[in-house]
Amino acid sequence: MTAPAVARAAGRDVRRPAARRRIDRWGALVEVYFRAHAALTYAFLFLPILVVVVLAFNATTRATTNWEGFSLRWFGIALGDEVVQSALSNSFWIAVPNAFLATAFGTMAALGLQRVGKRIRLGFDVLTYMSIIVPEIVIALATLILFATTFDAIESWTGIKLKFGRETIIAAHVLFNTSLVLLLVRARLSGMDRTLVDASADLFATPWRTFRQITFPQLLPAIVAGFLLSFTFSFDDFVITTFVSGPGSSTLPLFIFGQVKRGVTPETNAVATMMLAFTLAMLLVGQLVLAWQARRSGRRSAASMAQIVTEG
Amino acid sequence: MADDIETTLRRMAETKVNRRGFLAAAGLTGAAAALAACSPGSSASPAVSAAAPTTAGSAAATPEASAAASASAAAAGPIESELFMYNWSEYISLDNIEAFKAKYGVTTFKYDIYDSNDVLLAKLQAGATGYDIAAPTAEYVPGMVEQGFLQKLDKSRLPNLVNIDPKFKGLWWDPNDEYQIPKDFGTTGVLYRETMIPTVPKTWKDFYDLIKGPASGKTVFVDSMGDVFVFPLKMLGFSANSVVKEELDQARTILLDVAPHLLALDSNKYGEKMAKGEASLALGWTGVLTQDMADTPDKGYVVPTEGSIFWLDTWVLLAEAPHPNAAYAFLDFIQDPAIQAEETNYNNYGTPNDKAKPLVDPKVLADPAVFPPDAVFALLEGSQDTSASTQRTDIWEEFKQHRGG
Amino acid sequence: MATPTVPAPPRAGTRFRNGLLTTALLLPAGLWYLVLLVAPLVIIVVFSFGTRAKNGGYAPDFVLDNYIRAFQRADPFVTSLQMAVFGTIGCLLVGLPLAYFLATRAGRHKGVLILLLVIPFWTSFLIRTYAWLLILGPDSGVAGVLQSLTGAEKIQILGTPVAVMIGLIYGYLPLMVFPLYVTLERMDRSLLEASKDLGAGRWGTFRQVTLPIALPGLVTGSILVFIPMMGEYVIPQILGYGRTYLMGNALMTDFLEARNWPSGSARAVFLIVIMVVTIAGYVWFLNRGRRTREVSVL
Repeated sequence: MTAPAVARAAGRDVRRPAARRRIDRWGALVEVYFRAHAALTYAFLFLPILVVVVLAFNATTRATTNWEGFSLRWFGIALGDEVVQSALSNSFWIAVPNAFLATAFGTMAALGLQRVGKRIRLGFDVLTYMSIIVPEIVIALATLILFATTFDAIESWTGIKLKFGRETIIAAHVLFNTSLVLLLVRARLSGMDRTLVDASADLFATPWRTFRQITFPQLLPAIVAGFLLSFTFSFDDFVITTFVSGPGSSTLPLFIFGQVKRGVTPETNAVATMMLAFTLAMLLVGQLVLAWQARRSGRRSAASMAQIVTEG
Repeated sequence: MADDIETTLRRMAETKVNRRGFLAAAGLTGAAAALAACSPGSSASPAVSAAAPTTAGSAAATPEASAAASASAAAAGPIESELFMYNWSEYISLDNIEAFKAKYGVTTFKYDIYDSNDVLLAKLQAGATGYDIAAPTAEYVPGMVEQGFLQKLDKSRLPNLVNIDPKFKGLWWDPNDEYQIPKDFGTTGVLYRETMIPTVPKTWKDFYDLIKGPASGKTVFVDSMGDVFVFPLKMLGFSANSVVKEELDQARTILLDVAPHLLALDSNKYGEKMAKGEASLALGWTGVLTQDMADTPDKGYVVPTEGSIFWLDTWVLLAEAPHPNAAYAFLDFIQDPAIQAEETNYNNYGTPNDKAKPLVDPKVLADPAVFPPDAVFALLEGSQDTSASTQRTDIWEEFKQHRGG
Repeated sequence: MATPTVPAPPRAGTRFRNGLLTTALLLPAGLWYLVLLVAPLVIIVVFSFGTRAKNGGYAPDFVLDNYIRAFQRADPFVTSLQMAVFGTIGCLLVGLPLAYFLATRAGRHKGVLILLLVIPFWTSFLIRTYAWLLILGPDSGVAGVLQSLTGAEKIQILGTPVAVMIGLIYGYLPLMVFPLYVTLERMDRSLLEASKDLGAGRWGTFRQVTLPIALPGLVTGSILVFIPMMGEYVIPQILGYGRTYLMGNALMTDFLEARNWPSGSARAVFLIVIMVVTIAGYVWFLNRGRRTREVSVL
């Protein structure tokens, strides 16, 4: 463990003496191992994506994975396909609100659970785990029945006809994702240092200010992780979405799973490739903007996305 | 049936149309329809009013039908500007959708996708869809009718139904053709790679011998309970739709017997597995022959002589359809020969629309796998809904988990 | 603003305001659980005592047959349990070193690396899984390398539980890495220094310092990974060639192919009860002897 240790809590850079490093014979090996392990894992994660991207350029006219030459035809088809565009837009406009809601609800609940007795916490825990345990097909069907029955009742009472659509999908997705965020934030909270909170209170900070300046920054990595996972799981959900969707709210996974009967064409790969390119481009732009800002403000070390994401 | 001026114009405009040049032609058709609509007594919905007189005589076959017809004819109003369709993926040509929108002034056409009849049914049973039109497989229709999910069709508003081949009319799932319109059909049979197996199978018994012999470890079954049961039941000489305990017991023995020799249970990628030579034999459907296996020269497909089943997908009008008039307009529109031929060229499934056949790509039309000859069709049973049999489910699960030993 | 100069024992008003805040914090999630979890669960429990309606679905009744059948057909549960246990261990072996690397060694690239962890998952699950068909297929590089290494004539990976396992680990890895990362990232490096200074070896430091800090993340991560693996059905279908039959597949058969909602519901209740008990036991076992480490930070 010879890498420069950053004692962030103390806010200073602690570098280990070089002499120590030489004594630590296994140190270098461990460093190599960690780097290699990370590199291999990323390769593992991106290998299938590479295949997806390559096949997007397949010149085939059919749903096949046989390479039949290079072509951009599937990008043209994807760009001109209204069904795909509507599906993509639905996916996005379901995943984003879902991620915001789930992140807010989950974080709030995690903070609230610290202020209650053991019994309430246990009850909440059971519900949290249950929401993850219930298999998708089961919760999907039961939620569909619940919505349909409730909507009927509302209609007979008030005459207002509620419909299935993006809203019902978001509501159903938020359940699982709230639990996800809740568990992540609680994992982060557990064993967190209270000293700073106490110090802040001693310095006459209001609870809100303490939260904003002390607690929130400490929780941020978990909140960001929760947001990202919530977005991801909603964006790619199939079973629940299938059941609680309504006219015009089909998402991308529904389109792709639906294609299965006749074979998934490279059009899907083209869509995925464009999304990937867009995401990576945004990431790059973000990095460049931050670097540029850092240079402009004359700071010595460029602030990177890393700090924004992990430290706020 | 005599064509009136409007229909004739429409035919002329549409027969020459290929898929690419469709949008332009659709404008022309629309103009023709508008022309016809100028005749006295036309309403805001040109197509319906122009079409109605041509079928008034034929639709009133029974007093009951004519009563129903007049009831819904009274309800018919202007075509709504929206239509919500719930259908399998890529099971409707997008060019046809555009043509329909242009012709009838429908501005919002929502096409949502399901990947199994059971999802469609579950949504209906839960009490909510919000769609106008769906495309269930025929064996699901009687149950849907019984549960009140479907509207009885007013045939006077569907003049193009005369184009449907009589052999798809009056079948058991809808004896009076009141609730569904045949959409596409296909068969369940045996796919093989001729060069990879010593003999070409002709019967289910041949198929069985191949699985246990030369094609062991190279056989794929589609992952579909109803279709897999066809093989043992037909081989034993029973109905493919049997739910008789003794017959299913015998079928179970055969299924467990072949289970260890299977490469995969797979409905989605079996064509590719065969094209790549990973599999040499399959129990499946014809769709993959023109898709994954298009470039496989030694491919073959046979409906075994003991018989098999055919499936038929249908158009239905849902009971609570929010846009019934647009739905009727579409259901008739899609059975227009030129429009239907475009559908067949697009999806490569057999169409029950006889008048459309002359306009279908000759290559597709000549393919016996897509359009089986009458002699083969005579061997086929219509598939039934057998999901109520828990014995079938139990055997199916046992079969799926059985790896030999 | 109104904070007293000297921290005094909370007065009635403060206590009330505290209670209000707590309620407000728990309300949204609690409401969601009540409406979209408890209510559906009640529906499922009611269903599990019913019978299949003539055309599929549910018909009201009170019978125990569905539970008897659920017990008789427990094989998929056992298979799922084995796959999920090995899958979770696999995720841990891959995920822990990665999370550790991200938390302690990624430096200023940390944020980018974390985003790169989820970006693959924005590509449809189905087409990613299909991609594995090519990677692990008979003509692929992976099979080729393995064949030349082992000298075997033909190595079949697809259609075996191994392929399913690879798919499971691939599919659920982020759910393991993220909780581990958020706990490890908080780790104070000076603790490691201290441990070293006190003469602890690498293993000792890991066991006595790193592991206890990572434990909440490890618990959360393994639960988040283990549970969905039990209910997975697409991966065994595609990569397992439909020959590995897990609980998720069994539920799909019951609910969709057989349209027997009561039978499927009973199976689901059976699964849920066992899982809740297992997880409660797991959490209790890991926390036994440890003081509760949660403190209020509000």
